Amino acid sequence: MLKHSRLSLRKRESLTGYLFISPWIAGFLIFTIGPMFASLYYSFTDYDIISPPVWNNFANYKKIFSGIFEALITHDSSKLGDPIFWQSLKVTLTYAIMALPLGLIVGFFLAVLLNQKIPFVNLWRTVYFLPSVIAGVAVALLWGRIFNPKVGLLNPVIEAVLHVKGPGWLADPHWAVPSLVIMGLWGVGGGMIIYLAGLQGVPTDFYDAAKVDGANLYQRFIHITLPMMTPVIFYNLVLGMIGTFQYFTEVYVITNGEGGPVRSTLFYNLYLYQNAFRYNHMGYAATMAWLLFILVLVLTLLVFRSSDVWVYYEGGLKGRE
Amino acid sequence: MKRLILILNLILIGAMAIAACATPTTVVTSPVAPVVTEAPVVTEAPVVTEAPVVTEPPATTGEKVHVTIFVGLGTGTDPAQIDAENALAAKYNSTHDKIEVEFLIVPYDQSRERLDAMIAGGTAPQLLGPMGIETTAQFLNSLEDLTPYIQRDNYDTADFYGPAVSLNTYEGKNIGLPLGLYPSFIFFNKNAFDAAGVDYPTQDYNDKTWTITKLREVAMQVTLDVNANSATSPDFDPANITQYGFDNSWDSIRGWEVMWAPANMGRPTTSDYKTAIVNDPDWITGLQWYSDAIWKDHFMPDSAAISGLDPANGDPFAVNGLAMWMSNTWYMSESLNELPFKWDLAPTPFNLRGTRIAQVDADGFGMPKDAKNKDEAWEVLKWLLEPENNLELCRIYGCMPARKSTETAYKASLAEIYPSINLDVIFNAATYLDVPNHESWVPEFASINNDVLAFVQSQILTAGEDHDAKSVLDKANVEVQKILDEYWATH
Amino acid sequence: MAATNRNLPFRSLTLGYRAQERMIKVFAVLLLTIGAVAIIIPFLFMLSLGLKDAVQIRSDPLSLIPRTPITAEVNGENLPLYEVNLDGTSRQMALLKNAPGKKGVFIDPANPQQTYTLLLADQKALYRIEIHLENFKLALTAQPFGTYFINTMIVTFVGGFGMLLSCTFVAYGFSRFRARWLNVLFLLLLSTIMLPSQVRLIPIYVLFQKIGWINTLLPLIVPAFFANAYDVFMLRQFFMTIPFELDDQAKIDGANSIQTMFYVMLPQARPALIAVAIFHFLYAWNDFYEPLIFLHTQDHWTMAVGLQTFNALYAINTHLIMAASIVMIIPPIVLFFMAQKVFTQGVVFRGFKG
Repeated sequence: MLKHSRLSLRKRESLTGYLFISPWIAGFLIFTIGPMFASLYYSFTDYDIISPPVWNNFANYKKIFSGIFEALITHDSSKLGDPIFWQSLKVTLTYAIMALPLGLIVGFFLAVLLNQKIPFVNLWRTVYFLPSVIAGVAVALLWGRIFNPKVGLLNPVIEAVLHVKGPGWLADPHWAVPSLVIMGLWGVGGGMIIYLAGLQGVPTDFYDAAKVDGANLYQRFIHITLPMMTPVIFYNLVLGMIGTFQYFTEVYVITNGEGGPVRSTLFYNLYLYQNAFRYNHMGYAATMAWLLFILVLVLTLLVFRSSDVWVYYEGGLKGRE
Repeated sequence: MKRLILILNLILIGAMAIAACATPTTVVTSPVAPVVTEAPVVTEAPVVTEAPVVTEPPATTGEKVHVTIFVGLGTGTDPAQIDAENALAAKYNSTHDKIEVEFLIVPYDQSRERLDAMIAGGTAPQLLGPMGIETTAQFLNSLEDLTPYIQRDNYDTADFYGPAVSLNTYEGKNIGLPLGLYPSFIFFNKNAFDAAGVDYPTQDYNDKTWTITKLREVAMQVTLDVNANSATSPDFDPANITQYGFDNSWDSIRGWEVMWAPANMGRPTTSDYKTAIVNDPDWITGLQWYSDAIWKDHFMPDSAAISGLDPANGDPFAVNGLAMWMSNTWYMSESLNELPFKWDLAPTPFNLRGTRIAQVDADGFGMPKDAKNKDEAWEVLKWLLEPENNLELCRIYGCMPARKSTETAYKASLAEIYPSINLDVIFNAATYLDVPNHESWVPEFASINNDVLAFVQSQILTAGEDHDAKSVLDKANVEVQKILDEYWATH
Repeated sequence: MAATNRNLPFRSLTLGYRAQERMIKVFAVLLLTIGAVAIIIPFLFMLSLGLKDAVQIRSDPLSLIPRTPITAEVNGENLPLYEVNLDGTSRQMALLKNAPGKKGVFIDPANPQQTYTLLLADQKALYRIEIHLENFKLALTAQPFGTYFINTMIVTFVGGFGMLLSCTFVAYGFSRFRARWLNVLFLLLLSTIMLPSQVRLIPIYVLFQKIGWINTLLPLIVPAFFANAYDVFMLRQFFMTIPFELDDQAKIDGANSIQTMFYVMLPQARPALIAVAIFHFLYAWNDFYEPLIFLHTQDHWTMAVGLQTFNALYAINTHLIMAASIVMIIPPIVLFFMAQKVFTQGVVFRGFKG
């Protein structure tokens, strides 16, 4: 025991901290870092998997970023080095902007509703949780069917009830991405678990104390529930962001790997996949992967920075300084 | 306390190390299970994968050489096909003692990743197939040239239909021997014709009145709206079509254009692969015909209507809303007797030049360059292409065997399944193949086909996009030329 | 409390807490009902597709209830029967073929020589309900799902144990200690999921092949013992909602870090741990992408790989795919339903006041 007094309290704490996270560090060094650097290496090569990679300097990166100025000035997308890359980025961003806030808000309020003491609450929760359990491929097939403009579930009902011709949904370039957003909302119950866990973690004596002070429901919500839930919201925001940028499986199934119609659902990861496994351009795919990585990393950093402002931790380390 | 943490971590890492040292157990196979070959020793670092050093496993007497046939890049993954393939493998293994054959069946969606992983890891399969011409072309740089093997064994290719052997030959390099052909023709729905009161199309291959113009006429007569007005009538309501006259959207643009017999057929470049000719006048005429078919004449469905006809992406013909459908024989490997209407076959029409070209698909097998035991693979390949095995495989896949000697047997087997259909249409169609094939190789094959040409097709089929063939093809030509220029700059 | 001043004109509108809470509950139930209906309808559609057969899906897509036309045999052919309106009387006749003008040629099966050409829209097609439960039977028996289930359970329990253990340790480390590089490391942790997995697939495959883990369950289980970004992040968020006073109290009582973790943090974060377990189970149950590449022979496959292969084999048979998918969701749903008990308990108090 006397040995330990050589280290200062602070150093001891910091060493303990590192020790606790050492399993992850070990795993990272063994499983993750190799493949990550391999893919970084690939991004500087032409690599068709079948033959060894051929170093091409920054050619892949140049291809993506060339022609931006000319294209902006002349409004002509064919001047871009790779117009399809930018199309895929646009599609992904559009989806992210639509799906992320909706998913967060709807998920949160759903969890709040399902946290009430209402009869059969277990049943309700199970019903909402049901869609997120269905395998992504089946969900995509099912909704591909539901959205079918002629024999699906939606358009015949729309035409019968509203007497208006329904849109082309997935077959219409303007409706394709919103259709995917709707499909994603069907599975919003999956994130509900985390919100529920978070809501359960709010101590009830906070609410009791507030009631004694005369706060009504709205005030209790704004001043207790919401702040206490910010760590969970933060979690869902960051992971949601990372997830929507990598949206792949469902789109692949619904569009048969094409990203149609006319590339309106050609998500970033889908185009990446096409490059990797169809066009024999694994090097270019790696370039795309790392560019996405940088983009998401920057966005995540911004969110983390902002978290000092709006995220409240009861047990935050800041209070300990 | 700290010691405890340290110990725990050591245990974790130790467990992992022990597991890592465990040797892989050889896999147990069940007759129906797809099986993998044993992983040979690889000595390269994982990051830079050079072509793995080919170390032949010590061939002790009595030890069989493994030949893996990788199925999944084309057809061959239906349950019935899997059973038949495994039966074929059993047949081979029971009659050969030096080589052991296994069919490795991978679902199409994962086949590329799996194949790439196997090749990168040094365990490339010995044979690939059945692969269409398109797939074979994608692997041009990684398939073995079969010409030396053919010459070494004096392999007789005369029994194959002439063009069949050359379909996979590029610049003298033959990268795949053909298993079977899938000629194309028209399937027509008798009920639909009855509903419109129009005579069935001719089945006589030599009838010169059956031209593209006549096709359009008939198709318009057979297209009906909800009030049973045909597309030729002035009261036709294009917003409420219940029955379409003709469809060919399963095929690519290259396949479409073949009907017009352009100078380079369905190849979007000149024969030296350096110049893009996507806006060749014949291409423009052909594409405009299709574009008008959808948006002016209304006898062909657009993408929204197709998804209504074909919700499972299986086929638009089976839903009884299409009068004529251009397709190939592989469609007949499904059970067409279940269709809820009567149907028959008609030939592709003559084009405006008075000739006729019907695009053909073909399936074959190829040998990856990086595989081991290539000689044994060649032996298996020859066996697969022997007439009786060839016939069996074609029965499974729905192709017409590429060997002329099996024609009678094949016809008989088809007649058993489809007694009342005119099968001569199929065999006549084989004589009007397209060379160069519409699926043949071009540089950056997948890039040109998927990025540019599929996009063009998507534009023509989707409402609200540019439907003028000339403007679309002119833009596409610029893109294809750019791809070609980039390719030739580095090759 | 409710205003009892009789002079207030809108007295009746000022509600007490009881009534307010009841109104909230009613409102909640109403919203939930609407949402639940919207959630269930696609599922019913899925069920309907799963109970049809291929012919019904193609030719009768708009009917939710699987049905098939009643046919009669005439001259060796099976023709669909209609209830036909003929001169005021209705009889059953068979449709021979279509005719122009939206008409059909009908014949009486008993008297096939006589044909009647009538408008199709005026006649009623006859159907009988035909449900195809054999789709489910095929879905269950087409592949050795028993083996797959065992493999999946191995991944779930062994991997789940490793996951919970390692993620708790790592999350505790990130949330309760101050160290110089911890923030950077945390970002590094998150960054591991920012790189799309497609480009790491080949290098990881080659790595696993070099150590001989291909075609075993090891690539799915062992990495679980080294924590992963999602669960560590979630647990870290939860740990950070637990006030430090509890830690301090434990320290005063003489607990070291590990004891604090086990006796203070874990009980407080129980809902989060259950969530981690559920998510791991779902991952083991549904994830197929990497297992499909790592597991070669059928006896090592998991349920997800089996389902994915099934989908691929029966690609255009929507009814079979739907049936198989429905079968696959039953265990997770049952599990979730039973795990509800934890979520309803919640955390009543922190164990001390002040």
